[in-house]
Amino acid sequence: MSANDDQADVERVLAGEISAFEGIVQRWQGPLINLAYRFSRDRGRAEEMAQEAFLRAYRALGQWRKDAVFSTWLFALATNLYRSELRRIPARSVSLDEIAEPVDVRPSDGGLEDYDRDLAVRRAVGALPAKYREALTLFYFHDMNITAAAQSLGLPEGTVKARLSRGRDILRSKLPQQLAVPRLKEA
Amino acid sequence: MGRSSIGQSIGRSIGRDAIDRILSREEEILPSSGFAVSVMDVVRSEAAAPPPIPFPWKRALPGIIAAAFVLGLVIIAVVVGIVQAGKTTNSQLFIFTSPFASPSLPRLLHGGIESAVVWTLLALLFAFASVKFSMRVLSGAA
Repeated sequence: MSANDDQADVERVLAGEISAFEGIVQRWQGPLINLAYRFSRDRGRAEEMAQEAFLRAYRALGQWRKDAVFSTWLFALATNLYRSELRRIPARSVSLDEIAEPVDVRPSDGGLEDYDRDLAVRRAVGALPAKYREALTLFYFHDMNITAAAQSLGLPEGTVKARLSRGRDILRSKLPQQLAVPRLKEA
Repeated sequence: MGRSSIGQSIGRSIGRDAIDRILSREEEILPSSGFAVSVMDVVRSEAAAPPPIPFPWKRALPGIIAAAFVLGLVIIAVVVGIVQAGKTTNSQLFIFTSPFASPSLPRLLHGGIESAVVWTLLALLFAFASVKFSMRVLSGAA
């Protein structure tokens, strides 16, 4: 994906060539839908939210300042929209206290255990308070890049780091078995 | 650093590694085949739609100012009336110092059925004038 392609397409759209917006949609549909999916955990809703994000981006193209990379601006706009949407109609999730340690009576063959553990951790992330959940979602979406996560959330990096740390602490306290934290004896 | 804090630190690190490992390998979903087309349809219909009608501030401004003025007068009259009522006894007549207040205003504020009728008529008149004004503004903007 080239930043120059984005800039060229934006300039063409602003000049009145609406079909040039299709290039932007083709390049960014995957990331925007996947980001929406991480927020909503619902494929249909993710596409609806991504479509709305593209429409808002189209309306606001003139406000993109070229000192920031187009993708940064687009992700910030989409993140803002997804957060508002999830506040309006929250994704289905269970509370953190309801996430029980899985009792697996099957013989340990690795694969199923991993699946259960991953599912429990993802559910626990979904049940976190919004500010920690959003920080974790953006951090892992951006391949553990704190700067990118902070830019998408419109927050200082320090705040994002603090929220990540607190979010991980909550996950560790709720899912000690899955996260393989050794039980410690007080010295 | 005691044994406990070293152990906790190791535990945190292991926990963090596990969280990183699990949350980094999220399944990727692919856009459905018609997604880009449907987005472009929405964008094209947005582009084809006429721009929103701006609010006719020039036409509305005199009415807004007049309404604000009348509202201000009513509020002041009510406040003065309440203050005066607090100062006087039931047998005394109210004396208004406000330049716009007429001698009949105290009776309007504290009277019986007669004043209620007058206030109702005033409210109806104000509502009617508001509706007429709004319709005029809208028909002028169209």
